Amino acid sequence: MSVAKSASRRASRLTTVGPGAEAVFHLILGLFSLACVVPFIFVIIISFSSEPAIRANGFSFLPAAWSLDAYRFVMRLGDQLWRSYFNSFFITVVGTALSVLICVLYAYPLFRRDYKYRGFFTFFSFFTTLFGGGLVPTYMVSKFMLGLSDNYAALIVPLLVSPFYIIVMRTFYSSTVPEALIESASIDGSGEYRTLFQIILPICLPGIATIALLNALAYWNEWFIAMLYITKPQYIPLQYLLMRMQNQADFLARNSSMIGAEAVNLVANQPTETLRMALVVFIVLPIACAYPFFQRFIISGLTIGSVKG
Amino acid sequence: MTRAPAATRPILAHNLARRKKTLLLTSMALPGALWLLLLRYLPMFGLVFAFQTDRIRPTLWDRVIKNAWTGFKNFEFLFTTSDSWRMVRNTIAYNAVWIVLGLVVSVAFAIILNEIPRKFLGKTYQTLMFFPYFISWVVVSYFVFAFLSPDKGLLTFWQRSLGQTPVDWYNTPGPWPYVLTLAYLWKNVGYSCILYLAAITGIDASQYEAAGIDGATKWQQVRFVTLPHLRNMIIILLIMSVGKIFNSDFGLFYNVPRDSGPLFSATQVVDTFVYRALAKTGNVGMSTAAGLFQNVVNFVVIMLVNTLFRKIDPETALF
Amino acid sequence: MKRILAFALTLALLTLSLAGVALAADDPSEEVTIRWMLDGSNVTDDSAVLEAVNAYLKEKINAKLEVIWGTWGDFDNNSVLNINSGADIDIYFTCSWSANEYSAYAKKGAWVRLDDPANNLLEKYAPNLFTVLPPVLAEGAKVEGADGVGVYGLPGYKEVAQQYTWDINTPLLTELGYSVDDVSDFYAFGDILAKAKEAKGADFYPLNIEGAVLERMVNHSDIVDTNLLLSFEFDPVNPAQSEAVIKSRYETDGYKKFVEKVREYYQAGYINPDMANHESSGPARTNAQLSGAYLIGTQTYAPGYDRQASQERGFEVTFKPAQAGIISTTSARGAMMAISSASKHPERALQFLALLNTDPYLFTLLAYGVEGVHYNLQDGKVAFTDKRQDYLPWRNGLGNITQLPLTVDDDPDIWEKFAKFNDAQGVPLLGFAFDATPVETEMTALINAANEYADPLNAGVVDPAEKLPEFIAKLKANGIDKVLEEANTQLQAFLAAKGN
Repeated sequence: MSVAKSASRRASRLTTVGPGAEAVFHLILGLFSLACVVPFIFVIIISFSSEPAIRANGFSFLPAAWSLDAYRFVMRLGDQLWRSYFNSFFITVVGTALSVLICVLYAYPLFRRDYKYRGFFTFFSFFTTLFGGGLVPTYMVSKFMLGLSDNYAALIVPLLVSPFYIIVMRTFYSSTVPEALIESASIDGSGEYRTLFQIILPICLPGIATIALLNALAYWNEWFIAMLYITKPQYIPLQYLLMRMQNQADFLARNSSMIGAEAVNLVANQPTETLRMALVVFIVLPIACAYPFFQRFIISGLTIGSVKG
Repeated sequence: MTRAPAATRPILAHNLARRKKTLLLTSMALPGALWLLLLRYLPMFGLVFAFQTDRIRPTLWDRVIKNAWTGFKNFEFLFTTSDSWRMVRNTIAYNAVWIVLGLVVSVAFAIILNEIPRKFLGKTYQTLMFFPYFISWVVVSYFVFAFLSPDKGLLTFWQRSLGQTPVDWYNTPGPWPYVLTLAYLWKNVGYSCILYLAAITGIDASQYEAAGIDGATKWQQVRFVTLPHLRNMIIILLIMSVGKIFNSDFGLFYNVPRDSGPLFSATQVVDTFVYRALAKTGNVGMSTAAGLFQNVVNFVVIMLVNTLFRKIDPETALF
Repeated sequence: MKRILAFALTLALLTLSLAGVALAADDPSEEVTIRWMLDGSNVTDDSAVLEAVNAYLKEKINAKLEVIWGTWGDFDNNSVLNINSGADIDIYFTCSWSANEYSAYAKKGAWVRLDDPANNLLEKYAPNLFTVLPPVLAEGAKVEGADGVGVYGLPGYKEVAQQYTWDINTPLLTELGYSVDDVSDFYAFGDILAKAKEAKGADFYPLNIEGAVLERMVNHSDIVDTNLLLSFEFDPVNPAQSEAVIKSRYETDGYKKFVEKVREYYQAGYINPDMANHESSGPARTNAQLSGAYLIGTQTYAPGYDRQASQERGFEVTFKPAQAGIISTTSARGAMMAISSASKHPERALQFLALLNTDPYLFTLLAYGVEGVHYNLQDGKVAFTDKRQDYLPWRNGLGNITQLPLTVDDDPDIWEKFAKFNDAQGVPLLGFAFDATPVETEMTALINAANEYADPLNAGVVDPAEKLPEFIAKLKANGIDKVLEEANTQLQAFLAAKGN
């Protein structure tokens, strides 16, 4: 396998870019990548800065004093933090698996030119990207009719289908799957489901990995859905934990004059910037670590494509 | 059945097979279709709120039948303000420029990433480019603030140390189109790049080999193999983003400029106007109306673009 | 496509019509669950409290309580969505200053009218309730709602008055050779501020303000609409004697004079440039307060603040009144409870609220937790345990806080001070709430205009000579005159009705 892999890789690179061009590429990509990661490093630095130093000098790449206070504070969230971590992982894994399955299934008939209702189902999904009932009706239907309230379904179901990913997946099918392949499978007597799962999907792995990655990101980053449908602390995912602190601090800052004697205390005891940054670190790290995993699928898709050729 | 003329039997069998195929393929689309029906089509009833008074009723049904009709009154606020033109201009101009810029930059990056011989470095770049996507606009706004803050910003310090008068960033709209554009590209290029990259990795290696044997240079390979292959993906993403031409990324326009009033001439878009207008009153009728109006504009634009592409090449059109 | 839509339509209509169950008369023998949505709470474990509450409520009114503990971030989002969508919630927190605003939602039909002549719930189920509350609260609760002028919510009894004070860093002021008496006229602050700036260096901003509050303090202008477009200027000494007229806040001569002075102070370096922006100003202000890096600040006062602020900041803080305290519609509706029009048991919900506001046992239980778990009594005073961290509702948002026992940290005279503070004069506009629905279209544009100009002008970061005329032109172009006329017409009607 590895021999075939490297051989085909080499074959595909019969003509490579010149060293000058390569240097320019590295420069461009290197600078851009740096720009992409610097803010995150900055976030990490802030999370380790001491609060009085920030008060005195603002955010800085080289804080006057370091401190672990923010992390100590995060640890004091204790059970809630780990519970939220678990929730985020759980909804990301289950949600991604389900939504990829639904997406792959829905997109496949849309790609089949011999499918009678192709046009209808394409439009049926696409139309929803253009028109929607708005927040309140969606909320009413989801919460009161479908019972999406304070349960894991409430965190998973609202993001299950994305017309955008369906269309992207359809495009992946149409640019990777030769039609002759489906015809020959059908002549061989392969059923539609078998054709899809055993013949088509394996060659579409890069596409699936991409869709899975995007879905996983969407689930991991989601907080708005949680804000709408979750009130019980045991279901709160990590992002919402952060956003809730954010919203609380903003609200208190704006309305302290209306809250009464408790306000002085409340405002003073709001989680500090460093704490919020520490939470961002907690949020970003796991998914950043998971990224290479998806990447391997995308790369291995390349290999399969080459071997097939 | 047994008495059917011999000639019709294969046709019947063929019909049966075709029906079975249709049935099976439809069954694949069903779970998704059901979801769309329940979570997207059902709430569309709410669109009638746009044409009704904003009276609260215990159920959706009560609301739909009992609330008085107001015609297009809920839409008026979008057009009567003296800022209508400014926000429409900002919304469309930013989107138009960003669609083109985003497309060029992400496709270019995807191609470059694919051409880098050192796969390890390529993968590293790719991973790093993805980081901004995780960081919410709120956090980005802290980051931008760290540079531009009027008393403690890095840029402010730097300008002071050079003996210049520092720019009062949050009260000077001039530079903001560039700041917003940079922020947009920074956050989105890694994301759309991965879609193109995945499409590129799906290309059959033999096509490059064939081109290589024919003596094509690298540039020619890109032009004649990679780009044609990406065409579908480019057009689809293009149509999809054109379908959002009247919407904006709220956090980018609201959080990143820190909701600063003096910057409105550069940062006010339809979404922020509507948000500011209705945040306190929470008028459901008016917010539904605003959303509906945006949707209609998007719909018209996307239909035009789709028709255009269908005229050029029926295969590339979305539907 | 059409067929599918038709199908969806039928399905939805069927389901929804089933959902609309008709209200049955309240049957006291049937145990019901009352769902209560609160905001501003920090509660992770309510089991012990609810167990005790439910045992008590079962016996008293045959009901069970279920609380949805909204947080501080939930005022603007969650509760509004629930109210708008007719959620299965019986009682909501509401008030005059957040997005789930009392009068607007009364107008929209979100609340049950409690003194509706048709059923007069208030008389039947809570006859004594308003006798324990100050009369101004009853006056403040009256509003023109969907079912006519009446009471749509029960006011909480906390600070009823409102007073703006100068927040003074006393040790620093003494150090500079001044006394608290020297801090009185905003227009004469110049010398003190200059001296502070000189003594403390370029990075020190002596004036630690919230621009919009400063403006209200200096011009003695009360809030009329939540978006601060309109103002009512009252007499700082005799508020009850003020002339009842509504003005366009940003078009008065007083406002022009104010922004010019603020601009002068800003250019002299007395105000932190972060104050122009509401996102930066909050943290910047808190930082300055906690580290004592200010001389004079702005503060909405409430009894007990001095003590709490001095403890929190570690130096002596003086709050010096800038004007007499007033009771206005905004302050009287600072915290209320309203029964949702979607509630299936409004009678029982009202019985619960009546009990909550008149029964110290129940109220203390809900506000402070269970004795022996969340607090212990030391000499009759409440001393909280560590468990209290799991159960921290927003006390002032719950109801009649005068029923509570003292805590060990409280000022022993707090209730006397409280009573004295609440003994302020009511302004002529007390009870009047501007109904913006007739001019909603104009308001949307005006709100955006105010967002664009007000904060920077109030903090002095932009030049009023250039920006104020621009601002006023924009207000005029978007119909401020129409809004102002509407507001004064409504006010005249209100005063006429009140006179009768």
